[in-house]
Amino acid sequence: MALRIGIREGIRTITRNNSLFLLSLLVTSISLFLLSLFVLVTVNLYYAVKILDEKIEIIAFLDDHANVQRLMRNIRKINGVTDVIFVSSEQALKDLQNELKETEAVLNVFEKNPLPASLRIKLERSFRNRRGLTEISNKIMLLQGVKETIYGGELVDQLKKITNIISAFDIGLLIIIIFSVIFVIFQTIKLTIFARSTEIEIMRLVGASNSFIAIPFTFEGVVQGALGGIIAFILIAITTHITTSIISVVYFPKLYFFIGSIIFGAFFGIIGSSVAIRKFLK
Amino acid sequence: MITFDKVSKIYQRDWTALDDVSFHIDKGEFVFVCGPTGAGKTTILRLIYKYEEPTKGTIKVMGENLRLMKKKELPKLRRKIGVIFQDFKLLQDRTLEENVLFALEVTDTPPKNMKKKLMEILTYLRLSHKKYAFPYQLSGGEQQKVSIARALVRDPYILLADEPTGNLDSRSSQDILEILMDINYKGTTVIMATHNLNIVKKMKKRMLRIENGKLVRDK
Ligand SMILES: Nc1ncnc2c1ncn2[C@@H]1O[C@H](COP(=O)(O)OP(=O)(O)OP(=O)(O)O)[C@@H](O)[C@H]1O
Ligand SMILES: [Mg+2]
Repeated sequence: MALRIGIREGIRTITRNNSLFLLSLLVTSISLFLLSLFVLVTVNLYYAVKILDEKIEIIAFLDDHANVQRLMRNIRKINGVTDVIFVSSEQALKDLQNELKETEAVLNVFEKNPLPASLRIKLERSFRNRRGLTEISNKIMLLQGVKETIYGGELVDQLKKITNIISAFDIGLLIIIIFSVIFVIFQTIKLTIFARSTEIEIMRLVGASNSFIAIPFTFEGVVQGALGGIIAFILIAITTHITTSIISVVYFPKLYFFIGSIIFGAFFGIIGSSVAIRKFLK
Repeated sequence: MITFDKVSKIYQRDWTALDDVSFHIDKGEFVFVCGPTGAGKTTILRLIYKYEEPTKGTIKVMGENLRLMKKKELPKLRRKIGVIFQDFKLLQDRTLEENVLFALEVTDTPPKNMKKKLMEILTYLRLSHKKYAFPYQLSGGEQQKVSIARALVRDPYILLADEPTGNLDSRSSQDILEILMDINYKGTTVIMATHNLNIVKKMKKRMLRIENGKLVRDK
């Protein structure tokens, strides 16, 4: 009952004070948009790191007469190895040719294929660092038929360090932005509350409880947050559409962003409006 | 029902609005509070529904010491007290009907009873034909009647009427007084603040006379 009346009152506030509501909605949408933009960048960053991380591997170059089958079997047995892929010297040449299309002529200089056959060794996640790489690489070097191994140990650690710094920075910024969004909603709801302060006063005089008074404003906060979330989603969809046509790949899980925008918008709306009304009723 | 024990109220800037006032009002009484403008009549009423806090002294309403009352209890107290405000305090963006209904909605009245109560009170005060009018479309006297309807619709234990005839001609004033008498007859304790001594004299009821914040006569 109180909830039904509360929602009716909330709708009344929104429709009657509609210019104030539209302004608040605009501000909320923009701040939620900034938040999603930030989340989008972060997600893409992690996505890129994940792809790079998966590319971390050991390449073992083989002697011409190496027993490939046996080598592969033995390497697979090493703790931390997930997969071994054989790349024949012909395949290696083809790959190189693909990469260097224009400079094909250079390769024609050689009469015989100069590239050795190799094994690409994929590792478990916990081994994709300098220590793991070195450890496994040393074991592989001991096997017969392996000429040489290469892996970017130094580089890998460098990459890890950078991503750690970025994620710490990222989380800090994320917290700041979330608080700003809540603060913005809080401020705009406060404006609505002030616009209705005589009304609230009268409600209290005739014996309305605090929760009864709070429901309409909380409702407004939720509507403002959820609608703001939808608008923010539309803006972010447009943004990714534009960016995708400039830089080729943008990782954008649409459904998650859509649902997330609405849920987080509504959630921030509840927090912002509750804080505002609580302050006013104190 | 209501007890004031050595109550003083000093507003900010050292303005003493009430000075050492004591009285007791029993259940079912009809009491006038009168005195010149600025004497402290409204202040007394405000202390009863805990809109203001006394600077000194103790106030008991329906057996409860207001000073010790918890914040959460305040709405319950106010639901038992009907107040006719000197300045009406109507919601400007709501119709007459909605303004009265509002007082029922904040309590836990079942929706069915609401409609019935609303109809009854509007008929009783002869406001039905204007129920869709907004406050700005009503005369001062009509607005006063809306304020009365809102106070009465919940069948309060105590009715505080602050200058309820202030905007009415003598005939309408008489009507209102009869309504208040009627409510009082049905058991509600009525306290009416006024500076119109003619009315008070005619009615032959108990009168608290306030001058400069002091209770100068109680008879
Ligand atoms: N909130 C306030 N702050 C400061 N002074 C106040 C406040 N409310 C009332 N007063 C002062 O207290 C005194 C008593 O005011 P009150 O409203 O009780 O008078 P009243 O008897 O109801 O007068 P009236 O007949 O004009 O309604 C007045 O002098 C007024 O100026
Ligand atoms: Mg007064």
